[in-house]
Amino acid sequence: MHPVDSTTTAEHRVVQLEEALNEAAQINAELQSRDALKTQFLANISHDLRTPLTAIITHAEILRDGILGPLSEKQRDSVASIIGGGRQLLEAVGEILTYARGAANQLTVSPSDFHITAVVAQVAALNEPLMVKKGLSLSVDVTPGVPSLVADREQVMHVVSNLLGNAIAFTPSGGRVWVAVTSTSERGTTHVQVEVGDTGIGIAPEHHDLVFREFAQVDPSPSRRHHGTGLGLTIARRLVELNGGRIWVESQLGEGSRFYFTLPVGDPR
Amino acid sequence: MEARPHILIVDDSADVTGALRVLFEETGNDVSVANTIRDAVAVAEGRAVDVMLLDLTLPDGDGLTVLTTMRARATEPRVTAALTGRAEPEVAARCSAAGCRAVLVKPVPIAELLRCVREWTT
Repeated sequence: MHPVDSTTTAEHRVVQLEEALNEAAQINAELQSRDALKTQFLANISHDLRTPLTAIITHAEILRDGILGPLSEKQRDSVASIIGGGRQLLEAVGEILTYARGAANQLTVSPSDFHITAVVAQVAALNEPLMVKKGLSLSVDVTPGVPSLVADREQVMHVVSNLLGNAIAFTPSGGRVWVAVTSTSERGTTHVQVEVGDTGIGIAPEHHDLVFREFAQVDPSPSRRHHGTGLGLTIARRLVELNGGRIWVESQLGEGSRFYFTLPVGDPR
Repeated sequence: MEARPHILIVDDSADVTGALRVLFEETGNDVSVANTIRDAVAVAEGRAVDVMLLDLTLPDGDGLTVLTTMRARATEPRVTAALTGRAEPEVAARCSAAGCRAVLVKPVPIAELLRCVREWTT
């Protein structure tokens, strides 16, 4: 080939490559912009759902507590179901909002010094009525000498709450749920380790990664037995990682599940 | 006869203010409702407010502006509690710095709301 021809061809290819790169950059910018719009949409819709739910729950509580006059037992049961359903819906909306803020990197960590056992005890107490209703037993085991943490207390509570909520949801009546707190050493740093275990339906090893993925449910069919946003474990993972820790599951189908997370004892920032 | 406590509910949702109005009127309080910063400030000019329940997101700005404006005009309620959708430490710190006695996450269980308001008005 003549040297001039080869220079021309090379220049032409450079131009083509530059055009392709520009196009890719434009597509990338467009995708990022759409992603930001989706996140904003989720945040707005969550707020718009919370407001009427607040009104529904407050009105129902006014009726339940007899402030507008006494109710019959059947009426009270019915109103209690409205409140229960409303609070469940509110929780799902809250999860969507937390997910949206996490996806947009809008979640910030506000660390404080606290002991994980206080958080576990609080979450356990909140879930006790549900455990009793389902006929499940809960045990909490804390290894003596576990140090206090510097982490975002609300976020850690959210993680424990999501894990315990899942354990309750996926464990049939008569089963056991437990929380075990220990301290471990990872890469020379002391970590607090929390295990939330159950004797429930378990998760096949090939689905272990899937459960932490957003919107993923091991059984996505409309007829599935266990409902939820599919965001609980995605959020748990994001919150644990934001606080400098890691989360994983050990489980076999039919043999219960053990979810673990660790958090470094020092400030995560 | 002792005057009934005056509760001011500031929230831009008529559904929410409607529910809280029923709750507090039926439990022996006088209730005023405002949907904007401007209306809330005007209510306090007309009658002293014992307890203000203040939403943080209002159509004409940050809800805490209501409190700072009232303070500047010497019409600040005896007690102000912020109503918010999210209990985040930075929100709580901002409310506390502005002078709110409490930060309540909506929907606040009515038993808790009534207990707080009773405590603040006696």
